[in-house]
Amino acid sequence: MATAVSRSLRSPRVLIALGMIACIAACAVFAGFIAPHDPGDQNLLSTLTPPAWAAGGDQNYPFGTDSLGRCVLSRLIYGARTAMLVAIFASLGAMVIGSVLAHVSGYFGGALDWIIGRMVDVWMSFPPVILSLILMVGLGVGLGKIILAIILVDWTRFCRVLRSDVLIVTRHDYIAAARLLGFTHWQTIVREVLPATLPLLITLVSLEMAIAVVVEAILSFVGLGVAADQPAWGQMIADARQYVYQSPWNLLLPILAIIFTVTAFNLLGDGLRRSLDVRLAEAGR
Amino acid sequence: MIATVVKLMARRLLAAIPILLVVSALLFCVLRLLPVDPAAMSMPPTATIAEIEVKRREMGLDRPLPQQYLIWLNDALHGDFGRSIVFRREARSLVAATLPVTIQLALAAMVLAAVLGVGGGLVMFHVRGTLFEPLADFVSILLLSIPEFLWGLILLFVFGVALHLLPFTGQVAPGLPLPHITGFLLLDALLVGRFDVFVSACQHLILPAVALGLAFSPTIMRVLRSSLFDIYHEDYIEQARLRGLSEGHILLGHALKNASLPTLTLAGVQFGILFSGTLLVEVIYSYPGMGNLMVDAVRNADLPLIQTIGLTYCVVVLVINTAVDSLYVLLNPKLRVR
Repeated sequence: MATAVSRSLRSPRVLIALGMIACIAACAVFAGFIAPHDPGDQNLLSTLTPPAWAAGGDQNYPFGTDSLGRCVLSRLIYGARTAMLVAIFASLGAMVIGSVLAHVSGYFGGALDWIIGRMVDVWMSFPPVILSLILMVGLGVGLGKIILAIILVDWTRFCRVLRSDVLIVTRHDYIAAARLLGFTHWQTIVREVLPATLPLLITLVSLEMAIAVVVEAILSFVGLGVAADQPAWGQMIADARQYVYQSPWNLLLPILAIIFTVTAFNLLGDGLRRSLDVRLAEAGR
Repeated sequence: MIATVVKLMARRLLAAIPILLVVSALLFCVLRLLPVDPAAMSMPPTATIAEIEVKRREMGLDRPLPQQYLIWLNDALHGDFGRSIVFRREARSLVAATLPVTIQLALAAMVLAAVLGVGGGLVMFHVRGTLFEPLADFVSILLLSIPEFLWGLILLFVFGVALHLLPFTGQVAPGLPLPHITGFLLLDALLVGRFDVFVSACQHLILPAVALGLAFSPTIMRVLRSSLFDIYHEDYIEQARLRGLSEGHILLGHALKNASLPTLTLAGVQFGILFSGTLLVEVIYSYPGMGNLMVDAVRNADLPLIQTIGLTYCVVVLVINTAVDSLYVLLNPKLRVR
C-alpha cells in the first residue's frame, strides 16, 4: 500500500490533478475570506458590467456583475463550495452503497448476487440524466437533495465494476486460506478482499467526483438543482445564457470553472488508475 | 448464423419485458409519492372541491397504489398512456411527434462521434512514444471532461452568437413548412422535394449534433487506442512487419479491424448514454425533441407525460443494447460457430 501511494505521488498526472483540486478546495473552504463581495449582494445600479480588464469594467468587480448586479467572481468562488460539497458527499455515498453491494454480491454469490444483479439491470436501463431529473421532481430542490439523487442514481457504477473485481479476488487461494484460519465472512471481506479491490475503488471515487460536478451543474442549469439563493455554476450559466449578447464573460467563466474542476478529477482518476493498477503500471503506460 | 442472431435478439427482448415492468412500477411509485394532485391539476382553477373529488374517483386515485398501477398498466398495454395535464393532449401522440426528432439528432451525433473518435484514436496511437504523447493524453482527458451541455453552450456562443455562422434555435428556419410523413424531418423534406427545408434543417442540426458528438468521441478515442496497444503485442503484427508490409497498412489493414470490436461494443453502450444526452442539447438549442418535452413535463410536474417519456427512454436504451449485442455476434468470428 505504501509503495502504491509513493508510486502515485510520483505520477505527474496525479500531482498536477492534486494541485488543481487544492486550488478549488481552497476556494471552497475559504470562500468567505477570498470573495470580495457577498455572493447574494445585489447592486441594481450596475448590472451586467464587463470584467475589470474590458472597456467599462469596474475595479470593484474583477469579473463583472450578473443580471442582478451580483459579483461574478464571488459567485464563482462560492460556487466552488457547492460543487465540492456535492462531489465529496455524492461520490462517497454512492461508493459506500455500491461497494457494499458489490462485495456482498461478488463474495457470497447465489441468490443475493442474482437479486443485486437484476437491481443493477433495472437501474442501468434508465439513462442517468433522466433518472436524476425524475428523482429531483420527487425530492424537490436543494443541495442535500442533489447529493441524494446522485447517490441513488450512481451507486450502480461502483456496484457493476467492483463486483467483477470481487469475483476474481474471491477465487484466490488466500481467501480460502483465510476462511480455513477461522476468519468470519465479514473479517475475510474487510481484511482480505477489500485491500485487493481498494485501488479500483479509489479510482472510481475520483471519476465519480467528476461526474457529480457535472450532474450538479446540469440539474442547476435546468432549474432543478440547488435552492435559488445558493450560488452554483450551473445556475450562473442558466442566468448568463439569457444575456449572452450583453455579457459573454458571465457565460464563459462558469463554463471554464466546471471544465477546470472536472478535468482535475478526471486527471486524478486517470493517474491513479495507471499507478495503482499493477498490470498497467508494469506495462509502462 | 442469422438464426443465432435472431434467437439472441428474441431472448434479449424477452428478458427486457420483466425489466420494463419493474421500471414502470418503480416510476409509477416515485411519481405517485409526489406532493401534487393530478386530479386538481387537470381541472380548471374554478373547480369546486366536490368536482375535484369526482375527478379523482374517475381517475382511480382513491384506490390503493397497486390497484392504480394495474389500471395504468392495463391502459398502457392498450396503447393509452393517459393525457398530458399541461398540453391537454394524449401523452402518446406528444411522444410520437418528438421521438423521431430526437432519434435523428442522436444518430447524427453518433456518426460524428464515431468519426471523431476513430480519427482521434488513430492519431493518439500514432503519436505514442513521441513528445506529443503527453499532450495528446492531456487533450483527451480535457475533451473527456467537457460534457455535452457545455459543448452546446460553447458552440452556441462561438458559431451562433459571436461569428453568426449557424442558426441555433429550433429545427428549421421560421416560416418554412414542416412536412410530416415519417416524422424524420431530413427524410420528409427530401420526400416532398423541398430542398430549402432540407438545407435549413441540416444547418440547424449541425451545432447540436457536433456538441453531442464531441462529448462522446473521447471515450471511443481512448478505447480504440488502448485496444490498438493490446493488439500490437500480438504475434501477427510482428509477422506482418516481417512480410514487409508498411506500418500504415498494418495499422489500418490489420490492427484497426481487430481493435474495432471492443470499440464497437463500447460505442453501443455509449449510444444509450448519448441518447439521453440529447435532453440538455435540445434544451439549449430549443430543439423540439423528446428531451425538451421531458423538461417541460418535469417543470410542470406533468405526471402522465413524465411517466410516458421516462418509459420511452428505457425502451429505446433496451432496444439499442439488444441491437449492439446482435451486431457484436454478427461481427465476432469467435461467436459465430454453432
